[in-house]
Amino acid sequence: MNSGLRFAWQVLFLGGVLFAAQTAGAGVLVQCPGDKNGSASWEGDEVQPPNTKCMHLSGGDGFITMADGTVQYIFGFSDLTGLPAIGPLGEDLASEVLEAGILAATFPAPPIVLDEGDEFYLTLTNVGMMMRPDLFDPHTVHYHGFPEAASIFDGLPESAIAINMGSSLTYYYKVLEPGTFMYHCHAEATEHMQTGMLGNLYVRPAQDGEVYNYQGRNYSKFAYNDGDGPTGYDVDYPIQIGSFDSRFHGASIDVQPLPFALMKDDYPMLNGRGYPDTVDPGPLPAPGENGDKESQLENALITAEPGQRVLLRISNLNVTRFYTLGTLGVPMLIVGKDAKLLRGPDGKDLYYRTNSVTVGGGESIDAILEIPPTAAPGTRYFLYTTNLNYLSNNMEEFGGMMTEIRIN
Amino acid sequence: MNKHLALTSLRLTVTAALFLLLSAAGAAAAIDGISGPTFQLSASTGYVSTPDGGSYLIWGYAAEGGLAQYPGPTLIVNQGDTVRITLTNNLSVAGGGSAPNVSMFFPGQRVVVDQADRGVAGALTSEAVPGGTVTYEFVAAHPGTYTYYSGTDTALQMEMGLFGALIVRPAAGAGYAYNHPDTAFDREYLFLLSEMDPRIHQVVETQGPGGLAATNHLADYFGVLWFINGRAAPDNMMESNHPLLPHQPYNSFPRMHPGEKLLMRVIGASRDSHPFHHHGNHARIIARDGRLLESAPGAGPDLSYEVFTIQSVPGSTHDAVFTWSGKGLNWDVYGTPDAGPQYQHDCVDNDGDDFDDTTHEYCPDHYAECEDNDLDGLADDGSGERCKNGWTKTIPVVLPNQGDLVFGAWYSGSPYLGSLEPLPPGEGGLNPNGGFSFMWHSHTEKELTNFDIFPGGMMTMLIIEPHGVDIP
Repeated sequence: MNSGLRFAWQVLFLGGVLFAAQTAGAGVLVQCPGDKNGSASWEGDEVQPPNTKCMHLSGGDGFITMADGTVQYIFGFSDLTGLPAIGPLGEDLASEVLEAGILAATFPAPPIVLDEGDEFYLTLTNVGMMMRPDLFDPHTVHYHGFPEAASIFDGLPESAIAINMGSSLTYYYKVLEPGTFMYHCHAEATEHMQTGMLGNLYVRPAQDGEVYNYQGRNYSKFAYNDGDGPTGYDVDYPIQIGSFDSRFHGASIDVQPLPFALMKDDYPMLNGRGYPDTVDPGPLPAPGENGDKESQLENALITAEPGQRVLLRISNLNVTRFYTLGTLGVPMLIVGKDAKLLRGPDGKDLYYRTNSVTVGGGESIDAILEIPPTAAPGTRYFLYTTNLNYLSNNMEEFGGMMTEIRIN
Repeated sequence: MNKHLALTSLRLTVTAALFLLLSAAGAAAAIDGISGPTFQLSASTGYVSTPDGGSYLIWGYAAEGGLAQYPGPTLIVNQGDTVRITLTNNLSVAGGGSAPNVSMFFPGQRVVVDQADRGVAGALTSEAVPGGTVTYEFVAAHPGTYTYYSGTDTALQMEMGLFGALIVRPAAGAGYAYNHPDTAFDREYLFLLSEMDPRIHQVVETQGPGGLAATNHLADYFGVLWFINGRAAPDNMMESNHPLLPHQPYNSFPRMHPGEKLLMRVIGASRDSHPFHHHGNHARIIARDGRLLESAPGAGPDLSYEVFTIQSVPGSTHDAVFTWSGKGLNWDVYGTPDAGPQYQHDCVDNDGDDFDDTTHEYCPDHYAECEDNDLDGLADDGSGERCKNGWTKTIPVVLPNQGDLVFGAWYSGSPYLGSLEPLPPGEGGLNPNGGFSFMWHSHTEKELTNFDIFPGGMMTMLIIEPHGVDIP
């Protein structure tokens, strides 16, 4: 589609969404205690209640650029937190919010970082799929792995509700346990996940801030409430495994039947990028196709000082296969799996050291890299898939599911 | 037919139908299967149906006098039993070729072949020739969840359907997975995971297995159908022994009450790995491959660990204990009077475990009366509790208007457990008791399809039924 035609579609469709929103009386409704202007944040005289966090996400579509330069159509979330939905005079700013969310999908989805005990209010506004005006897809947010879930806030459309275009749904969850979780849209899950509605989500433990000495060093940040420090770390990085099937994405933007049965991924990624983009610390250049909105904000570069402990919060949300991640030069101490401390019910440690972990879709692993104190500044270690054929960006060799651990 | 007779006949039919329903439900009480210790099995051909309208030739094990099954009969024995299985080879193939030999393999068991009925020697085990038999014997020394499958041309014969589950019940008795109190459960369900590449079945159906020589299908295997207990969703949520699925007798439709322990017996029964994700809560993996995760005999599952996704790899079995209570939601799971008078209820905790003694409601999440005269949304007593329309612990957000929502078939119309609220015509309907439903599925989400059609495949729904709903 040429850019002029595409812009015409956008104008037509934007008009359609706003009109529908107004006539349905629905619109953007952000629910966040203490927040008066619907920004999901607290400004001016607004007071943030203790242990409360809010976020406002859009669900829609957009574009990203793969490591080989190919522009890929995606469905995805974008972060609207901070954008008022209500003006100073009480005016409805829904159109501004929708405009900001339209074609703004990012990959991976904005990271969600919570603390144990938080009350978390997440508003999802479905801004519609600009490039697919034939679709009326609802969206959801599924907090993958949150314990003691209730159907209404589980984001599973089959068991509860999903939100239509032009409207908002606020999810509430009292965050019970720390750990590495993940989140994704569960509406038509195979399609919406293959196309990109996935992101990092982790919860820091209540033990953070306490000091434990472990193997001669003090730590105040931990992966879990271990009580004695072995999950202490200096720096942490969420690392989400993902992969796309370019044929599926192509069929989606071309309004063709989607190849579910033949799905086979050819763009393996960490945090939404193939190597070498994984180690680019900044946002990637905005693709023109989405109106120049930056859509790849996360990277997968890991940096540390000699002697530090680095916590990798590894999750996998690809929808086609298992991947094995390996490290070269520095082993991993696996201290958590699926947002649980690896410890038996009577306190026996089940930690293990390894050079590789195999992670299926919907699994998470907490791995601590113990950087040798003798590591010379400038040292580079690699975190990469040992499924070596996935060290590629589609037809381009030497890329894919790999990143660097750089020692300062 | 006179009117009286017609009425009587109708009444009889309804009664018979009810009886059938009840007995079908009753059959789901435990894991479906056949009890030992002596089994007369055969291997024969049949057809499985898939929800996309497909029909595929299978080779399956059959119980005595029964049809070929996908998967084979779940063999249920007791620890210490001397298990004796006689297998008759009733396979036939297309194209006039001779049927293959067939056998059974029991990973985790010390099998001996009955010297009086030893069939012929195969590469891995003794086999029954076409029309012939072979008898295997082993002592079920260890309790647990096991699998069995054909040890003959396994790449093809497992794909064709020659596999099943073996459950050894512990000496500790019913309600225990292993011989330790920490392995107790209230309900148990089997999740036997398999996939299928239809090309193989089509070649075998039309040309016999010899036709595969001209293909590379066993090597470039590409599954497009995925099953739990031999049925793809949504068929696996129909009752067991459904007449429409004569070769797929087992369903997969777990249900439980809050606070109960549900034992998941998960088996990887074909060639791909599957990340089996159970919505709702963590589950504790207490055993793998029929061995309790314990540091020493008798220690109990002290090396067990909790997961939200079970990594089911080919040939493996996992026993995991799942429980759910809604503890810590920070809103009343049974609703508050703010939502309507029908939500009024008590939380009675005489035994001091924080849970209602009958309903297993978590009492710290139970509502209380409150006053909010300054209208700041918080109780005036300084407790910091939310206060809405005179009640604490109401659901903390306003749900969108129905016109802005798409509803799931398992949605009751109410966010609260055990309640129903009106939905637009044609919405909901699969959740008559107002339960909470959670999808249990392969998180290789591509496998939630039936040969290109979403949704389906390797998924089912767990229903948390409110207290008082009878679960057989």
